Amino acid sequence: MNVHQVDPNESKYSASATAFRANVDRDLANDELRDNFRGAMDYLMDKRKNAFPIEDELETLREKCKLIKQRCLLKLPQLLEQLEANLQRNGIQVHWAESITDANEIIAQLIAQKNGKTVVKGKSMVSEETALNDYLEARDIECLESDMGEYIVQLAHQHPSHIIMPAIHQNKKQVAKLFADNIEGFEYTTDVDALIGEGRRVLRDKFCHADVGISGVNFAVAETGTLCLVENEGNGRMCTTVPDLHIAITGIEKVIEFLDDMPPLLSLLTRSATGQIISTYFNMITHRRQEGDKDGPAEVHLVLLDNGRSQAFADEEMRQTLQCIRCGACMNHCPVYTRIGGHAYGTVYPGPIGKIISPHMLGIDATKDLFTASSLCGACGDVCPVKIPIPKLLLRLRKESVRKQSDGSPQIMHGQGAGRKTIEALLWQGWSIVHKSPTLYRISMFMLTRCRGLMPKKIGPWTTVRTAPQPAAKTLHERIKARNKATTQGAK
Amino acid sequence: MATISSISLSARANILAKLKKEVVGADYSKLPPEPDYIYPDLTHQEQLAQFITHLENNHAQVIKTDLFNMAHVVTEQLKQRDIDSLLYGKNSQYSGHIEAIDSSITLSDFDFSIDKDNSAAKTRLFYQTPAGITGSRCSIAATGSIVLWPTPQEPRTLSLVPPVHFVIVDAKQLYSDFATLIKEQKWQQNLPTNAILISGPSKTADIQQTLAYGAHGPKELIVLLLNS
Amino acid sequence: MTQLNTQHLRSYPNKPAQVYLYGTCLVDSFFPDSGIDAIEFLEQQGVEVLYPQGQSCCGQPAYNSGYQDEAKAVAIEQIKQFPLDIPIVIISGSCGGMMRHHYKDLLADDVPEIEKFCDRIFEFTEFLVNVLRVKLNDKGDPQRVALHTSCAARREMGVHITGRQLLGQLDNVELITHDYESECCGFGGTFSVKHPDISGAMVKDKTKNLLDTDVVKYISADWGCMMNINGSLDYQKKGLRGEHIATYLLNRTTNNGEA
Repeated sequence: MNVHQVDPNESKYSASATAFRANVDRDLANDELRDNFRGAMDYLMDKRKNAFPIEDELETLREKCKLIKQRCLLKLPQLLEQLEANLQRNGIQVHWAESITDANEIIAQLIAQKNGKTVVKGKSMVSEETALNDYLEARDIECLESDMGEYIVQLAHQHPSHIIMPAIHQNKKQVAKLFADNIEGFEYTTDVDALIGEGRRVLRDKFCHADVGISGVNFAVAETGTLCLVENEGNGRMCTTVPDLHIAITGIEKVIEFLDDMPPLLSLLTRSATGQIISTYFNMITHRRQEGDKDGPAEVHLVLLDNGRSQAFADEEMRQTLQCIRCGACMNHCPVYTRIGGHAYGTVYPGPIGKIISPHMLGIDATKDLFTASSLCGACGDVCPVKIPIPKLLLRLRKESVRKQSDGSPQIMHGQGAGRKTIEALLWQGWSIVHKSPTLYRISMFMLTRCRGLMPKKIGPWTTVRTAPQPAAKTLHERIKARNKATTQGAK
Repeated sequence: MATISSISLSARANILAKLKKEVVGADYSKLPPEPDYIYPDLTHQEQLAQFITHLENNHAQVIKTDLFNMAHVVTEQLKQRDIDSLLYGKNSQYSGHIEAIDSSITLSDFDFSIDKDNSAAKTRLFYQTPAGITGSRCSIAATGSIVLWPTPQEPRTLSLVPPVHFVIVDAKQLYSDFATLIKEQKWQQNLPTNAILISGPSKTADIQQTLAYGAHGPKELIVLLLNS
Repeated sequence: MTQLNTQHLRSYPNKPAQVYLYGTCLVDSFFPDSGIDAIEFLEQQGVEVLYPQGQSCCGQPAYNSGYQDEAKAVAIEQIKQFPLDIPIVIISGSCGGMMRHHYKDLLADDVPEIEKFCDRIFEFTEFLVNVLRVKLNDKGDPQRVALHTSCAARREMGVHITGRQLLGQLDNVELITHDYESECCGFGGTFSVKHPDISGAMVKDKTKNLLDTDVVKYISADWGCMMNINGSLDYQKKGLRGEHIATYLLNRTTNNGEA
């Protein structure tokens, strides 16, 4: 049985994802928020476009990286074992977690073993997924985000609204106010250099004194037992270098087979994400601190998290979801994300990738409104660096969501069938009966066109922002029939 | 509450069992061929130009110099910034040449250890060290990246914590791209504790997509390019 | 920003004597003029057009809503209506994408040689440019228009280029590119009723960008998008309207070129 056992009380995102529609109402009405997102998305789309000047090159790289990730996934169990063996050989301890509670508890205990009281965190979406900060704070451990965007978001008691640029929903005025309200002695300014300087000042002190550093992982290389981190700010290096204890946490899908697999993936990741040919820092960690070293953590741990990934893995089509390298390009190009922003989704991963990964983490019951919230325009699939067929997977999830529970079909996902509504199902059955019968179809179209005068001016949600279309006086079927008749008669 | 090892052991068994069940009988010999990705073939001079351009675009300062003028260049750069001290690693690759720095600059060795019980050393590194200098292993033209394999003489934090980082780069050790470098140097066999690629000063665009330098790492990266 | 999408690379047949027209359910009951105009245009190009009276809907609405069995039953019935081995020209990129690509997945187990059927599917502008290789003679007055290409046309059929090429052949027509030209108008079939607020925000932006160009009309090859955009323009009491490319081409190239 590979179905992910979701405990709705476990993840705080269950409730917020369920509230998607209300979140959308709230955020669509916020003009400032929409301006912030539009501006940011324009910027990121432009950056990516400029980073791939040659289309053929991009296509070769995408194909290569898709195949790399598919190979690594096909070998996933053996690569995880190889990664574990090599990391342990290098003095890095490996822990496995099926659920977010597993992961949080392992990390809490690792910190407790060292009497840790303060934690600095590099950017890690997986630790957002587990809501690690809440878990640790409940145990009196201070957990400070050190990525500038994450720091802003934490200060505002929010969640990241974007996986690469967490504070993208805020403009500099909002950040300035946040700093002025929360940092003692800070004088309001919208000068970005000054704002970043203030963040630097506050966080330097934390880096200097923190007991523990926690980071994510971008690629875990099985062949060498190496953890690779991509970043621009240097906070990732701080977290993984200065404190005595470094704990990395990542999803099981991040393992790659060979060191040679990494350069093309790295190149696609940074270019797709922010349009950079490479990030400022690329940090490869292969050992803990060794004899004679003057710095570096004495202990390094890796926590490997499942949390629904093995459920996606069990289905060959949905397994492609796990190819994701978390670049965020799909959200940058998504017209829905651009309108509603990252928070409306209520999930830790927003945007198109969030719509296809969250159902595995939270179950279909909590996420069933997410994957219907797409026009299937296909922009996400077009830009995905590892060619995840996101629109196709959205369709697949819609199918699982409305699947009839009583038909004996196999249990593939937690909550499958949760989106099925009796009335809707009946409507589609009726639709199908009419449209598969030429006679019934013609009759109903005849009725529709003849009753055009009776068409209501308001037709449900459609007419909240549009007028209703008017049926034609005669159908195309009828007009062509008449036209053919006339032609035949004319010929006679 | 369960211990770490009991959580981990049972999770490990369950996760691997679930995954293995799905790939039973997978034929790894029939994997589709992965296309080669080949960087354009450039001459050394072209690569060097590419390297410099990328670094400068990323806000790094590149100064062409040689071993004998290097100390003078560093002195001048420090004076321009009103900095009168420099942290370096004794007995490192270029230490002899660094030591030729002007006597007005206090040159100090990274002879302390950064760990929990040594807050004096941490405070010194974080708050009393305006600039550091390191060598480098090699560099990458395609991305304008400098490769550091930190050593006990030149530890990881020397290139990270001080706000100004001087890095000495030998143009003879320039590789076309990261993939080629890994292949030619056989990194698979000898990766160090920490290998790091640096492609500019620390930066962030996290506030309204506005680039700001010196987020957490060095605000300035000054590349001393030898043999160019 | 066009991405190379290998999905739509295909080889094209020579000009056939006969084609089928797939009118689509939307055109059938709401916008039949476009169907008639498409037929007239094709006939002027010397192609006989057959219109099977048994056709209804490609099945996309149910398919996109997750009701694949219901879609499948309808799709199988469509295939039966087109027995001759001649091209099937569809005046919608979206329905075209459904029949050309999604049928392969949907009907793989049910219809032998489904690929052969899918290979006969051509979107209208794609057919004009790549099979008929039409040469247009513009008889109309100078005019500025915009073009809205549907997402399915763009990404599944790769035919956003052909619409542009056709309009480019009209000497007196100036094609104005609106901001965010490639961005979705927010229709998405049932999406527009399941998530009306998001869809509404998208179409509002689309109409704004079209209105900003100050064109007299915008052209599209998909009535799904146009029903959405025109509906929004009408709601906003704006005069701008979309016109199907079949109608536009027919009018520009015949009679006194009134368009």
